[in-house]
Amino acid sequence: MTTRTFTLTTLSLAMATLMAACGSMPMPNGALDQARSRYDTAKNDSQVSSLAPDELKRAGESLRVAESTWSSGGKPSEVDHLAYLASQRVTIAQDTASSKASQAVTAGAGAERDRMRLALRTREADRAQTALTQSQQANAQKSSELAAADTKLAARSSEIDAAQTALTQSQQLNAQKTAELAVADAAAQNDKARIERRDARLGDLEMQLKDLNAKKTERGMVVTLGDVLFDTGKAQLTADSSGNLGKLAAFFQRNPQRTASIEGYTDSVGSASSNLDLSSRRADAVKTALVGLGVPSARLSTQAHGEEMPAASNDTLSGRQMNRRVEIVFAPQADDVLTK
Amino acid sequence: MNALHPNPRRAQMPLSALAVAALIALAGCASSPPMPTAQMAVAEAAVQRANTSGTSDNAPGELQVALGKLASARDAMAAKDYERARQLAEQVDVDAQAAELHAQAARSRKAAQETQDAARVLQEEINRKTVR
Repeated sequence: MTTRTFTLTTLSLAMATLMAACGSMPMPNGALDQARSRYDTAKNDSQVSSLAPDELKRAGESLRVAESTWSSGGKPSEVDHLAYLASQRVTIAQDTASSKASQAVTAGAGAERDRMRLALRTREADRAQTALTQSQQANAQKSSELAAADTKLAARSSEIDAAQTALTQSQQLNAQKTAELAVADAAAQNDKARIERRDARLGDLEMQLKDLNAKKTERGMVVTLGDVLFDTGKAQLTADSSGNLGKLAAFFQRNPQRTASIEGYTDSVGSASSNLDLSSRRADAVKTALVGLGVPSARLSTQAHGEEMPAASNDTLSGRQMNRRVEIVFAPQADDVLTK
Repeated sequence: MNALHPNPRRAQMPLSALAVAALIALAGCASSPPMPTAQMAVAEAAVQRANTSGTSDNAPGELQVALGKLASARDAMAAKDYERARQLAEQVDVDAQAAELHAQAARSRKAAQETQDAARVLQEEINRKTVR
């Protein structure tokens, strides 16, 4: 409806009123028709019928009043007036519905915005949680790495300790070895000294026996007392022999470990048995003389060989003289063998 | 709705014509209507309620129609044209309500639009944050 239509309608109504005066015959009313049309449109609009039912109802009541006024032959001006009221009530219903729809949109959008804000906060919180979790995991990893490093360090420390211990033991062993070596050295020195002493002793022995014309033989050192000590066929020592016998006795005294075998020999003059007897007596005479000079008899043994084992030929005078003899045999001692 | 009464002055012209017609009709039927005191009171109250800055901002045309009709109703009362005064008073009531509700609908529409805009901005912000 427009102002122009309204105006024209009004004018035409005024004309109709003038013409019909108070007639009972209702004339078609454009304003009423338009109000009815607008009402129908609003009623069929689901937004209006659902959001503004009360306002729509009032518009309908208003329209019914207008229509009843019109159908009962009311004044066209009153019908127009009532139609206008009905039409405005339709407008009110429409605006009310529009307002409520907008408010619903506002509320919905507000709720949506709250929902989005919540989602955003949730996401931020989740992200923070994730970051925290990652940070914690990183920390845990660092911790375990640290622990591993600690373990490694401890292992290294114990290795060092073990090496230190081994070193100490090795040093102790070295010291021990050194001590053993020193002992061995000392022993070697001792041995050397003993050998030197033995050598000296042996040298001394040889030197001592050299005066007695000692000879080194397989049986040991042999000192030969020639027949000058004895008269022919006699076992008496001559006076000349005392010098040699004194030297022998001194030798025995200087070498108290020495034992000797006193062995008697003869030439082939006379019978073998008398010669054996003679050699025995001569050996005994030497022994007796040595015992008389202080040599213990236990260290002296005697042996008679008679005319056996001649030192020279019995065919000559000088040979027979060389065969009439007493030999003092010094048995070799264990350490004498080692010397040479 | 603004098309209904774009110019209150123009709207008064047909009303004047209507008043003339009503007078003729009154003269014809010769029945004297009662004084519309209650209707006038209702109209005054409705206009008073509707005449706010919110209504004048969002439905100035509609409010102007109500105010103009209220003035006309007072004039009719003064002229003892009671039927005219009653009709105008009754129209002022619905016109004031219509203006009020029209303004409210406009405000609600704006609010809805702003809320939707804000939601869209927020959604864009969320999308940006999500992408980052």
